[in-house]
Amino acid sequence: MILIYLDPGSGSFLIQLLIAAIAGLSIAVGANWAKLKRWIGRKKKKNETDDEEDDNQQPGA
Amino acid sequence: MKKTIINSPVHSASFRDPSGFLFTRDGVLYRQVNQAYGEEYTHLMESGLYARLVKAGLLIAHVESEIEPADEKLVYKVLCPERVPFISYPYEWSFGELKDAALATLSIQKRALKFGMSLKDASAYNIQFFRGRPVLIDTLSFETYQEGEPWVAYRQFCQHFLAPLALMACRDVRLSQLLRVFIDGIPLDLASKLLPIRTRWRMGLLAHIHLHASAQRRYADVAISEARAGRRMSKEALLGLIESLQATVRKLDWKPAGTEWADYYAANNYSDAAFEHKKVLVGDWLSRIEAKKVLDLGANTGIFSRCAVETGANVISADIDPAAVEVNYRLVKENKEQDLLPLVIDLTNPSPAIGWQNLERDSFLQRGSFDVTLALALIHHLAISNNVPLTRLAAFFATCSEWLIVEYIPKSDSQVQKLLRSRLDIFKEYTQSGFEEAFKSCFTILESSAIRDTERWLYLMRRK
Repeated sequence: MILIYLDPGSGSFLIQLLIAAIAGLSIAVGANWAKLKRWIGRKKKKNETDDEEDDNQQPGA
Repeated sequence: MKKTIINSPVHSASFRDPSGFLFTRDGVLYRQVNQAYGEEYTHLMESGLYARLVKAGLLIAHVESEIEPADEKLVYKVLCPERVPFISYPYEWSFGELKDAALATLSIQKRALKFGMSLKDASAYNIQFFRGRPVLIDTLSFETYQEGEPWVAYRQFCQHFLAPLALMACRDVRLSQLLRVFIDGIPLDLASKLLPIRTRWRMGLLAHIHLHASAQRRYADVAISEARAGRRMSKEALLGLIESLQATVRKLDWKPAGTEWADYYAANNYSDAAFEHKKVLVGDWLSRIEAKKVLDLGANTGIFSRCAVETGANVISADIDPAAVEVNYRLVKENKEQDLLPLVIDLTNPSPAIGWQNLERDSFLQRGSFDVTLALALIHHLAISNNVPLTRLAAFFATCSEWLIVEYIPKSDSQVQKLLRSRLDIFKEYTQSGFEEAFKSCFTILESSAIRDTERWLYLMRRK
């Protein structure tokens, strides 16, 4: 498919909205699920995001 | 990085972005930030995002410079970034390198969102390997995040990273070479066609590649504003999208096993004594030359590249075999090596210059300057498998660096015999004296030594 006048951007945009909505929802459910578990008192460890883990992977000396 | 448009110090890949551009002066690389980007640059620096990313080793550090700008009418600031020793391109990376570059991009985007910014590009060319790790080199890639907006670089991320990674992991690792043809990443409809049907059962690939490609086709003639119809995307949804991409990339894997080269040393006829002798010779010669920049051609998994690193050099460790390069990169990661960059390079057809006017991405041979080239257990492949006359080989090595450490492998060697088994022996000049004669056209032979327990010879030469 060679696009000259047509732009694949609209499709990319729409699919992004759809995936993001589903992914965002699953994160929200996941977060509440963790809260619920904490509330019940089964899981005491704090939930670290992988974002923070990355900070520890600094270049070695 | 040396190439410039005629009469302009502005880097020839720096013409698309109105935010600023790269230029070199007196051999120093600078980045001009234009007024158009002033507000965003200030946000990047003052929000703490810059410091956070630099600390995490994800963004190249820079200092603001007082030198005269390259374009006074547009200038906001001039930056002097830390210099990456060698610019490499995604079609030269092993699977692991491309995967780590993808994960670095997503990690940067997640952090940026926390500081009210977002990446406006997700180009693989904006990532370079610096001290053994992927780092963003384009300081002007950030824009202020507007709540409700989607990720403008989503499609580019899928084309530059996800599609090639999926093709390499699920179809064939050599498909990374498509990136050489498609400078803005692999078109998703093509990736979708080439991927095995089974990838449709994997949620991430189904969504980000297959459905993404269908949506592109279906809405190709619809304007974005029309397609959007006022819909907004919450920050949580955007984070969800990034996390979904992270999970999809992490699940892709490719194991460098069973190729001809990745287990070359185990399978080949070197004895331990021969190997050690070769290491000692290479190490001694490199120390004597005091080489700072080394190009190891046919490096396999980088054993001799590491000899060079031990003598204090920064090494480009190039090999044709993606599996050997992958093993090499995994060693770099495991040992946190900072001075070795493994790259997939086919010497019989090294990366060409590509892009607009053939100036956007330099060819492999244009990019670096090296003190010494290592060509160990290599020339029989070029001379016999690829029919390159020895004089041409010498002329090629003379363009690479002033010094050359080269191994001569006679026809009687079992590895050469293997090559000759399937070809007619038309290589009359391929003898030790023929080799020396040919290389003397460009080099002075300073040292030579037989390698213990073998019929092979090692030479130290200097360009005439």
